[in-house]
Amino acid sequence: MTAANAHFDAAQGALIASGDWHADAASALPRLEGKVVRILDGAAITQLDTNGAWLLLNAVRPQPSDPMPELRGFQPRHMSLLNLVAQHAATTAAQIEVPHPGLLAAIGRGSLAMWGHVSGLVNFIGQLTIELARLMGKPENWRWRELGAQVSTVFAGAIPIVIGMMFLLGVVFAYLLGDQALQYGASIFVVDGLLLAILREISPVIVAVLISGRTGAAITAQLGTMKVTEEIDAITTLGLSPLAVLVIPRMIALLIALPLLIFIGDIAGIAGGMLVAQVQLDISPNLFIDRMDSVLRLKTLLVGILKGPVFAVFIALIACRMGLSVSRDASSVGANTTSTVVQSLVAIIVLNAIFAVMFVRLGI
Amino acid sequence: MSETVIDVRDVHTTLGGNGIHGGLSLSVARGEVIALIGGSGTGKSVLLREIIGLLKPQSGHIELFGQSVCDSTPEQMNLLRRRFGVLFQDGALFSSLSVEDNVATPLFEHTDLPHPLCRQLARLKLAMAGLPADVGTKRPSELSGGMRKRVALARALVLDPELLFLDEPTSGLDPISARAFDKLIRLLADTLGLTVFLVTHDLDTLFSIIDRVIVLSDGCVLGSGTVAELKQLDDPWLNDYFAARTANGETVDGN
Repeated sequence: MTAANAHFDAAQGALIASGDWHADAASALPRLEGKVVRILDGAAITQLDTNGAWLLLNAVRPQPSDPMPELRGFQPRHMSLLNLVAQHAATTAAQIEVPHPGLLAAIGRGSLAMWGHVSGLVNFIGQLTIELARLMGKPENWRWRELGAQVSTVFAGAIPIVIGMMFLLGVVFAYLLGDQALQYGASIFVVDGLLLAILREISPVIVAVLISGRTGAAITAQLGTMKVTEEIDAITTLGLSPLAVLVIPRMIALLIALPLLIFIGDIAGIAGGMLVAQVQLDISPNLFIDRMDSVLRLKTLLVGILKGPVFAVFIALIACRMGLSVSRDASSVGANTTSTVVQSLVAIIVLNAIFAVMFVRLGI
Repeated sequence: MSETVIDVRDVHTTLGGNGIHGGLSLSVARGEVIALIGGSGTGKSVLLREIIGLLKPQSGHIELFGQSVCDSTPEQMNLLRRRFGVLFQDGALFSSLSVEDNVATPLFEHTDLPHPLCRQLARLKLAMAGLPADVGTKRPSELSGGMRKRVALARALVLDPELLFLDEPTSGLDPISARAFDKLIRLLADTLGLTVFLVTHDLDTLFSIIDRVIVLSDGCVLGSGTVAELKQLDDPWLNDYFAARTANGETVDGN
């Protein structure tokens, strides 16, 4: 191996190259701005490949329209390579870098994308409604087996994480509340506060967030991959509706699972609070349950649990729509999965705020 | 005979309890265009993956350019990888990158050239692979199967390798694109002085551009030579294989 070398001979107007010319040889080229190269001398070149040939040609003739210099001393093999490269050189003209879009353009594009999500969702709801109406009278067309499989993964699989998470949140919430209540000697009211917070707000929102990250993302990734591998097209070709086969079972599974998981989360959160009440505030479990019995109204429990189906519908809609709108490459599966989680979280927070205002107005 | 580029000696492979190769040996000299044929499941693709270092045989020795593939350190292997290009069966283009960046990726990773220069070299390779200038900015998913193969070929060639591996280069292409692709491979092999090692099922490829055919059967090399020489061998699979072509009333050695 001999290192590539090139120097400009001003007297002849010649670029004289020697050594092995590969892609790495670019740094061996001298600066040629403002100089006219009339001769390219390759007599001392030992090895030449297409990358090396292009580098030499590009150095002596930056624009493909410039006249070709005289090629001197090249071996016949190198000569034919140079000709091959020169033949295709027109396509390799330096391209003007497209400037990055400004802030305004980015905001505009973001807004359009957001509008696209909203209108896409509305469109998807419409299709789904038509499909549901079609399925209504025909119980034999429902995918019962698929529904069962979905319920077991969405519901049974999520129980441990829901219990663990809500138990710890109950512990933390009761501890902080107890710390304050103790100063006023009002420790028994910890039970009231805990029940209200866990049942009405914390459990529904946390469980919905958990499920959107756990199940929503999984649905998008699964449907998206099925789209990439043309499984969705195969389902359509078999005369089946992807909505009926894939989307509706997942949506119903979430509709069933989310309220149940919220109820399990309620119990776990209260259990966590009960433990802290016993240790920190000396409220025995008996006293805790006694107090619960007198202050807990069915309404509080129902308000929390009935948020479940609403969250479930939105998580399922967003996850399935994003899954089916994957384009046929791997990166869009990732992008859509991310988008599902973000959209679901936003939907949960916004819906929860709407619920809060609505319940206050209605006096619930 | 000139220098040996690929040297496979006495390779034994077992995958998932199934014996694939039992003492397989072959060698390829510089400048040859070689086709590897054999029935389904005879371990053609496995052998290819072993030669390029993606799989390790249970025993045996594989050398590329006189350097062992099985015992190389990762650094040595990376130097070796710069000297050969691989075209995978379905192109294996990176779907998140544009066509131009796909082709330029080996240059980004293996050279110190500035990125705009890498892209210019990538466009040169795309043009050499017979693609129009406007495909550079497209995504792989927007291209037809034949164009994707050409992009993959451009990527395999971008570092100017001495050796090119092709896994079923013409599968999934229509006959016209397949023949054009064959001609392109031969043209590039001749002008760039490449050694080409391709796995194929395509009889037309064998008859048109191949110097020497190697036949795999039962984990061993059944025979090697020109198509005419192989036709002298009396093997049921080979007879059926060549009969598939002659049955259509075409002359076997007319091309």
